Amino acid sequence: MKKISSTGECLRQFKPAIARALYKTSVDVTGKHISGLLLIKTLPDSSIRIAFTNEMGFSFFDFGFLKENEFEVYHIIPQLDKKAVITTLRKDFELVLFRNMADENRITLQDSSLIYHGFSQTKGVNYYITDTHCSRLIKMQRASKRKPVAEAFMYLNAASVPDSIFIRHLNFNFSIQLRKI
Amino acid sequence: MRSVCFCLICMLWVGMARAQNPGFTVLKNPESFKLAFNNAAKTTNSIKSDFIQEKNLSMLADKIISKGKFWFKKENRVRMEYTHPFAYLMILNGGRIYVKDGQKENKISANSGKVFQQVNRLLLDCVGGTIFSNSDFHTRILESPKAYLIELEPVAKNLAALYQKINIFIDKKDYSASAIDMFEISGDNSSIRFLNKELNANIPDTLFTIP
Repeated sequence: MKKISSTGECLRQFKPAIARALYKTSVDVTGKHISGLLLIKTLPDSSIRIAFTNEMGFSFFDFGFLKENEFEVYHIIPQLDKKAVITTLRKDFELVLFRNMADENRITLQDSSLIYHGFSQTKGVNYYITDTHCSRLIKMQRASKRKPVAEAFMYLNAASVPDSIFIRHLNFNFSIQLRKI
Repeated sequence: MRSVCFCLICMLWVGMARAQNPGFTVLKNPESFKLAFNNAAKTTNSIKSDFIQEKNLSMLADKIISKGKFWFKKENRVRMEYTHPFAYLMILNGGRIYVKDGQKENKISANSGKVFQQVNRLLLDCVGGTIFSNSDFHTRILESPKAYLIELEPVAKNLAALYQKINIFIDKKDYSASAIDMFEISGDNSSIRFLNKELNANIPDTLFTIP
């Protein structure tokens, strides 16, 4: 794999543009299944809110992804209010929302068939992996210093709104599946 | 002076009740309501209804509206089938809970998921007329010309951590629940309105079978 130079051009077409979208959501974690509805909404100040409720309307959490890569927990139920849970969800959603992608943190690598558009995070690197022609976003990946820890797949419609998103952790049994409704 | 103070406190209390639930005042004789409510519940063996659920996300100024069908049959069986904008089935039967979410099935026994159990018991109590024997809540009863309102304030710690209060609206003409409003600690609220209610409809037991 070799290091190459790149700009933001390639990834721009794959960046989701979500004014408001509602997703039927399944979360599977260590053998337990939780389902519900996930609302993603961009507010007038361009911050992005993600609120997850169960089907009967009970709120699990409400997160805000603010300017300057700031993050806010507006609400979370006591059962989920654990640093590890919040950090994991924050990082997962930051990956699929194309957050924290400053040019100065860019590392781009290429092998014979793929380009790895990497962005250094506080811990680890987020990779957006495309084909060498940049015609397809094959997957997104969160990696620690040593190995990939999570990967995500997203399928955008013509308006750049994700029809489906799938996030899967590689180091423990945790996955999130979103289907637009 | 004392009576002036008392009058002011009473006016303030009534005013607060009205402000929170416009058109409703605190019921003067709750015992006679409870008696009539229990008697009506005794003669209601089943309920079949459509429902509309509205979730208000207060800080996002957004709503999620879903619809479906609801069945209740004595003693403690409920089937809620969401049909729009997603498919989701929940059956409560004898303390067991069955959930079908797409292809995924989940069975919860009586001993697990305490909060889930309490919330589902609340649903059964609301439609089954046994709400006043539920020690998880303090209750207050109000009325308007068309409806009674049972206000529930959670006293069970785990419920109080989730809900500020729960309102059950009772139709005056048949003492059946017409709506349930749940106010969460987060400031969000959700309401379930029951439409096209049929009391004592013939409902097959198989609807409540947990596979």
